[in-house]
Amino acid sequence: MLEQFFQAVFKADFIFAVIRITAPILFAALAAVIAEKAGVVNIGLEGIMMITALFGFLFAYWTQSWIIGVLGAVLTGGLLGLVMGFFSLKLKTDIILAGIAINMLGAGGTIFLLNMFTGLRGNTGNLVTPNILIPTVKIPLIDRIPVVGEMLSGHAVLTYCAFIFVFLVWLLLYKTPIGLNIRAVGENPDAASSVGVSVLGIKYVAIALSGALAGLGGAFMSMYYSQGWNSGMVAGRGFIALAAQAMGRGEPVGAMLSSLLFGLAQALRTKASGLQGVSSFLVSLIPYVATVLGLVIYSISLKRKARKHAIKAVKP
Amino acid sequence: MRDRRMVFFGIARGAMAIILALAVGAVFIFLSSKTPFTALRYLLIGPLLSFHDGSVIFNAQYLFQIFAAMIPTIFTGLAVCVMFSANQFNLAGEGCVLAGGFIGGILGVYLQINSGWHAVVCVLAATVACGLIMLIPALLKVKLGASEMVTSLMLNFIILYVVLHYLNFNFADRTKGATMTKAFRSTAVIPSLVPGNSKMSVGFIVALLATALIAFFMYRTRWGYAIRMIGINESFALYSGMNVGWTIVLAQVIGGMLSGMGGSLEVLGRYQTYLWRELPGYGWVGITVAILAKNNPVYVPLAAFFIAYLNKGCLLMSTHCDVPSEMIDIIQAAIFLFFAAEQFLSGFRQKLVVKTATEDLMRLEADRGSRGGGSHA
Amino acid sequence: MEHNDLALDMRGITKIYPNVIAANREVDFSVKPGEIHALIGENGAGKSTLMKILFGMERPTEGEIFVDGQAVSFSSPTDAIAKGIGMVHQHFMLVPSLTVAENIVLGMAPRKSGFLIDYREALELTRASAEKFNLHVEPSARVADIATGMKQKVEILKALVRGARVLILDEPTAVLTSQETAGLFQELKNLKEQGFTIIFISHKLNEVKELTDRITIMRAGKSVGVYDTGAVSEEEISRRMVGRDVILSVEKEAVAPGEVVLQVQGLRYVNEWGKQALDGVTFSVRSGEIVGVAGVEGNGQRELVDILFGLRLPESGTARVGGVKLTGLPQARIRSLGVSYVPEDRMTLGIAAAASVEENVISDRFQGKRFNHGPLFRMKELHKESDRLILDYSILCKTRSQEVGMLSGGNIQKVVVAREFSSDPVLIIADQPTRGIDVGATELIRKRLIDLSRAGAAVLLVSADLNEVMELSDSLIVFYEGKIAGYFDNGEWDDVMMGEYMLGLKHQSDEEIGRASHA
Repeated sequence: MLEQFFQAVFKADFIFAVIRITAPILFAALAAVIAEKAGVVNIGLEGIMMITALFGFLFAYWTQSWIIGVLGAVLTGGLLGLVMGFFSLKLKTDIILAGIAINMLGAGGTIFLLNMFTGLRGNTGNLVTPNILIPTVKIPLIDRIPVVGEMLSGHAVLTYCAFIFVFLVWLLLYKTPIGLNIRAVGENPDAASSVGVSVLGIKYVAIALSGALAGLGGAFMSMYYSQGWNSGMVAGRGFIALAAQAMGRGEPVGAMLSSLLFGLAQALRTKASGLQGVSSFLVSLIPYVATVLGLVIYSISLKRKARKHAIKAVKP
Repeated sequence: MRDRRMVFFGIARGAMAIILALAVGAVFIFLSSKTPFTALRYLLIGPLLSFHDGSVIFNAQYLFQIFAAMIPTIFTGLAVCVMFSANQFNLAGEGCVLAGGFIGGILGVYLQINSGWHAVVCVLAATVACGLIMLIPALLKVKLGASEMVTSLMLNFIILYVVLHYLNFNFADRTKGATMTKAFRSTAVIPSLVPGNSKMSVGFIVALLATALIAFFMYRTRWGYAIRMIGINESFALYSGMNVGWTIVLAQVIGGMLSGMGGSLEVLGRYQTYLWRELPGYGWVGITVAILAKNNPVYVPLAAFFIAYLNKGCLLMSTHCDVPSEMIDIIQAAIFLFFAAEQFLSGFRQKLVVKTATEDLMRLEADRGSRGGGSHA
Repeated sequence: MEHNDLALDMRGITKIYPNVIAANREVDFSVKPGEIHALIGENGAGKSTLMKILFGMERPTEGEIFVDGQAVSFSSPTDAIAKGIGMVHQHFMLVPSLTVAENIVLGMAPRKSGFLIDYREALELTRASAEKFNLHVEPSARVADIATGMKQKVEILKALVRGARVLILDEPTAVLTSQETAGLFQELKNLKEQGFTIIFISHKLNEVKELTDRITIMRAGKSVGVYDTGAVSEEEISRRMVGRDVILSVEKEAVAPGEVVLQVQGLRYVNEWGKQALDGVTFSVRSGEIVGVAGVEGNGQRELVDILFGLRLPESGTARVGGVKLTGLPQARIRSLGVSYVPEDRMTLGIAAAASVEENVISDRFQGKRFNHGPLFRMKELHKESDRLILDYSILCKTRSQEVGMLSGGNIQKVVVAREFSSDPVLIIADQPTRGIDVGATELIRKRLIDLSRAGAAVLLVSADLNEVMELSDSLIVFYEGKIAGYFDNGEWDDVMMGEYMLGLKHQSDEEIGRASHA
């Protein structure tokens, strides 16, 4: 049995699957990273992904252009981020509650909107055409290399984008003025405002960017991964991304590694579910348990650092 | 906020939020429906009154269905009230409903007690088990400072997959097409309160009792008091000598117990077998309910009724008109956003505060003067 | 002198806050170009308000500001920065995880190829300006990893690279070691030679004497004198600074103190800035007496009180109440020993603002037998208790269920005091019990404090209000730099003498101080 399992795992197509499964989680995890750096907890990622998945698909369907679909999803995501920002920064709704509201919209509101726009219920079914789907690309040289080519070449454009975005988000946060401002605002808003940086403005920018990135994840889901939109398709990826952010210490590369862990576990689950005697459900547990353990280890290390003045560290 | 004018303002503001949310819903109905007025009628008054050939009939079955739908959300609403009151954003109520339902269901199938106590044991076991489950995020928070929000979100999925594992590998009745357990023993079924198929079980009574109990707990006991003070100002609670860590754990354990109880009552009261294969969503509705109730247990049944009523209205609207029932989520999200907004109509509130404060001061000063003498004498 | 000859001229500045407290009253303050000008005064004398106005953080109610002879009006720090004014706050405005260079260029980062930060340029800018202004910093080190002294230099550099020619330093030495202080002084003198103007806020007379050219002394919101530093003695400064405006007369009987209640033995504590905040403090408080702790703020009083109430752990030394060691105990245990505490920060520790008056006055005793019947509260008893306290302490509220946050400052403090004074305490720690509240509430609280001590409680009174400690105390301890500088138990003290001990001009012998422990 184990042998079978290993045979299945040590195949190029397994790694291919891991990468494919990781991509949408990675987009959302990067979204969480940007928001968190500015001191905003974006628990609405799940809902933003659902809504942008729908709108990405609809835009693509209306124009028969996957590119416009992706752009539409990004735009929708950014707008949803601004809505969350408006309610939390302006009307002072708790940011967590604002996020939960967005998730409600994502859960049922999308079904409603799909019906309103297309008359369909629950999924986009026969609306899918090849024009709408995000194309895959073969990478010239790598494609030729045996095994590696099979793993790395032939992914969707957005899959590559997800990994490129790890670099871009890192670049944004650590190499650009706006990134510097985001980090300063998240860590010490007083210091930022004392040199004329607009704290509110930066938070709006960060949460809009966060929404836009989640939009890419949403577009990926409906326009490639599931080949169409359906009501259960995000399935907790937004929450997983939040955990990946926490486990990855809030850094882009860390978030990528944690996302890969989730991707790996999910791919294992797919493989394992075909095997006798292995519970795919228990395999599914791995990423969640790993997250909790990761958080525990992280918290212990933080606590050790803070020990010296711990008693005084009562919340203000 | 306790003086009359502020109470009035609070109510007016809540009403404004609800009206705005319903208006948002109405906009979508007009956008999507060919018969918007009929749809609105079903949404707003359909759950109580039906129309047949020009005559209006009060539909008791619908009302019972609404009451039935309130059972799990009263419990999760109470759970969220207790946990949010202590400022703990624990979102594992969702998972605990599932776990409670599963544990109650399994005991309902396999435990042999030949009396009504069977159901009681099932529900209590589910309650206790879910309280224990909540120890995980609670202790991680108190001992290590790990965010209860993230751990509780993960816990939801952990519970889901553990339940699915046992359901599939240990308890599934393979003779049936779908994955579900064998039928509950008749002794474990929560009896219905009313004739008909409304599923309004004794669970409804238990939910109301739980409301009273939690209201007493929060406002008439030392533990509830400590929970509320910690939620308002944790530093103050610590300085006053309260055991902050222990109380935070307690709040979350109670949240878990309530959710678990709600889950088991729902499963044993509504179905013949255990068949949930995904997270049921009551945990999230519980958050809406708690926010509508402003974290006050007394208002939880009212809020739960409101949500269940809207839900029923949306269902009716979708059966009789061309508007999908998921409209409920749009309305809920809108209520949520406006209701929880501290600054919603804040300009008005500020004016009121200033006005009230000035008047008070004048009145109190006059009072003191007329009593003839300083109070420091 | 005309405005034109002055780097800075503030004329007739008055600032009245909404709660009708005048923080500044017609203050004139002027600084010549290229001088180091000391602004000194007790806490609450109005220095910070004046400087906040100068830095655009507050707007004056009345008055004019001239910079280089030009009338200016600031609505934000950005405006002040644009006019060449820079401020180094006491609590550093730095982002710990960023590097020194990143902190310096925050909000004005140099760019290359359009949208990237030019880090080489940022480092170069930092290095060049560090060299130019003779302030040694490590441009690429993370701020979290550098010493306090360097953080301060980063703050100064931040102001300088933004074009500041007038630098305000708010108690810059409060967080520095003596070596770091010496370094800072050298650097400030260098800056002066380069033509910069420096406003130096301090309590420490020796520093002021060593560093500055002129001195403006503030007291009670007014400027009470401008001197050339060389032409005035430390004693004279001290006298001006702490002179009294009002003589309060508090009636109290003489006491014969009972046995020792609080025994503090050799307390040492290093605070979060690595400073020795408490350096071997030993004293005791006996039943029936009020022991006052005087001192300029930041000399260890805060840390002492926190340690006594379990909010910090000392490095070494002990504090005992009735023979039981306090340090490390949870607050519930400390309270059960009969200790009660009126905290300085009443909004954070003293009350739960969104809870009712009743819920606030019972927060220390709600678990007691009297208020519980099985699992339930005895609501009647709770109401009775809170009504009694409201009446006893003349708390002006509509009902016991009114939100505490809606009350006035004085009434909020009465709520705190009502709770803390009514639990039959054997030891009361009162930290700034009357700060910022109205006269009526102040009077009531002082009177109650005396009554309680005469009834046998031991009282430790920490206050920055010198009048208060001098009038209320039966004996007095003066803190200076984390040590006891003097102990007085004969009731013969005056403000001049206190000022000399508080400002470090005088110091008693170990033997005299040793009497404080009543060993």
